[in-house]
Amino acid sequence: MEMFTTAIGNVFNPMCLFLIWGGTMLGIVFGSIPGLSATMAVVLFLPLTFGMEPTMGLALLVGLYMGGISGGLISAILLKIPGTPSSISTVFDGGPMAERGEAGRALGVGSIIGIVALIFISPLLAKVCLLFGATEYFAVAVFSLTIIAALSGKDMLKGLLAGLFGLALSMVGMAPVDAMSRFTFGNYQLLSGFDITVLLIGVFAVTDIVQAGIGRRHLADGFEKKTYHLKGYGLSVKEFITQIPNFIISSVIGIVIGILPGIGGSTGGLLAYTAEKSRSKYPEKFGTGIIDGVIASETANNAVIGGSMVPLLCMGIPGNTVAAIFLGGLLVHGISPGPLIFQNSGEYVYGIYLALIVSTIFMVIFERLGLPIFTKLLDIPKHILLPIIMVMCCVGAFSSDSRAFDVMCVLAFAMVGLLFKTFKLPSTPLIIGFILGPMFEENLRRALMASHGDWTTFVTHPISCVFLVVAVVFCTLTVRKNLKEKKAAEAKGEAFDTAEEEG
Amino acid sequence: MNSKQLDMLCSAIFLVFGGVMLKFSLSIRHIIPTDVGSGYVPIFLSICILITAGAKLVLTLLDKKPAKAATKSESDLVGGLGTVGLMLLYVIAFEPVGFLLSSMVYLFAQILLMSNSENRKPVLFAVISVALPLGIALLFAYVIKMPLPVGILGF
Repeated sequence: MEMFTTAIGNVFNPMCLFLIWGGTMLGIVFGSIPGLSATMAVVLFLPLTFGMEPTMGLALLVGLYMGGISGGLISAILLKIPGTPSSISTVFDGGPMAERGEAGRALGVGSIIGIVALIFISPLLAKVCLLFGATEYFAVAVFSLTIIAALSGKDMLKGLLAGLFGLALSMVGMAPVDAMSRFTFGNYQLLSGFDITVLLIGVFAVTDIVQAGIGRRHLADGFEKKTYHLKGYGLSVKEFITQIPNFIISSVIGIVIGILPGIGGSTGGLLAYTAEKSRSKYPEKFGTGIIDGVIASETANNAVIGGSMVPLLCMGIPGNTVAAIFLGGLLVHGISPGPLIFQNSGEYVYGIYLALIVSTIFMVIFERLGLPIFTKLLDIPKHILLPIIMVMCCVGAFSSDSRAFDVMCVLAFAMVGLLFKTFKLPSTPLIIGFILGPMFEENLRRALMASHGDWTTFVTHPISCVFLVVAVVFCTLTVRKNLKEKKAAEAKGEAFDTAEEEG
Repeated sequence: MNSKQLDMLCSAIFLVFGGVMLKFSLSIRHIIPTDVGSGYVPIFLSICILITAGAKLVLTLLDKKPAKAATKSESDLVGGLGTVGLMLLYVIAFEPVGFLLSSMVYLFAQILLMSNSENRKPVLFAVISVALPLGIALLFAYVIKMPLPVGILGF
């Protein structure tokens, strides 16, 4: 209790509050610019915290982390470009909502549940994490790959091809375990593989610009300054109540994904989106711009933050890249994460909890106050806005690794995206395959090395077995549902459209 | 092209991609005896791609339903090729020419290409094309402290 009181005193002083506010604001700016990320924000400002008192330094980093993850939704909704990989699934419904002039509704979602989970159940969940090894992570990767089945639209084979292509792209560069170079064709730039940000920018943003160029004669058609509904936070009390199960389920998914190292917010958002779509009474509306999809994606993204702090604080295992940098920040300030952290550095841990809560409040206020400014972006005529976005995309691609090669890759991936659109291949499975590829391969190889090549290891480990069984059941149900819909459509004499449904 | 022809072309492209990937995957060396090797997953993936693309091709060929005719879109070849061409020149010039100059030229040309006779305002386009890259370059140089490429001209 004494430590908690000290933490309150440390956090609720004007300087600390100013640092949290500043960190959150800067984080949102970083998150909202495609190519800049929460990771970059925390890395850039980490050296600045060295000279600060631990609570102050950590408060600044917490603000940057929270704002950086949340800021991605701004460009995801307004420009249909995920500012951060975590906001991929926000684009599906946030983009169409903004096109209809409902950007305000799409931007008001919070993250308190993740922090509550961090405070109350972190020690318990940390124990579960200790049970995960390579075998279990491989099973989690396989389970996560089954999302492809649900996101493939009506043509599962096309979705599968897109997912396999994403997995194939992730194989480029140095292999895990033995660092063998693969598919580099003598180009040293390919040794580190493709950057996820570059792939995202190319497939999601630049493809749209090329398409706009093809349809340039109609760019000005129907252009009029839209009026946005910006009352409150975009959700009525009735809507909020009906969305409570969505909030809870998505938060739980986000927390679990955050706790499991190496998966990250993008998978959390996608899993929550898919879960909500499967649960929904109107799954066909997902991708056309409904608030359910945005809430599922963003609630899970924000809950990942709380989740990723659990193994970080209790075991010193970072759940994602930002958490790894955050770990560096803790060590610099003489705080050793581990089971004894509550006894040795309790006031700082409680300080982090409080900073997370304060940062969430600042984030909600700043994003709401900034809405009129953010939504003004949409009033810029497309023939001016799209070339500006292209420049920002190139800057984003360059800044992700300071390589001009990445800028060229953006255009290459835009051409891939254009081919996908021509062949009506869904692009989301491509991204999922790309994200999960390294995790799938590395853990498969490590697990088989540990079991001396015995494949039964995946079914003899209970956690792995459960994930694999759930994956098979989920896939079977999705295929059955798909075939049923196809038969129903044929019985009605309607053509079964195989076009992709994503936003 | 109608939907059936597009599906067949798509399957054919993936069959070629899978075949090429398999060829290169088979040549990946296996160095750790206890490991399945770096070629294992790529070989598995390429076989999966070949099977899936093959299945898609067979199903498309067996599909007796009449193919949907392609929707006739008023696509503008000059606009499309022009946009891709400008982007290509921009990404190539990004490092050697520098961010500022390449972005200014690209922005002006691209905005001009996308505008029509009614909304074409060259002076406004020129102001935007100069001000925006300048603002971004200053932001990156002095606030983010991550300079963008300066190019052979030194700015």
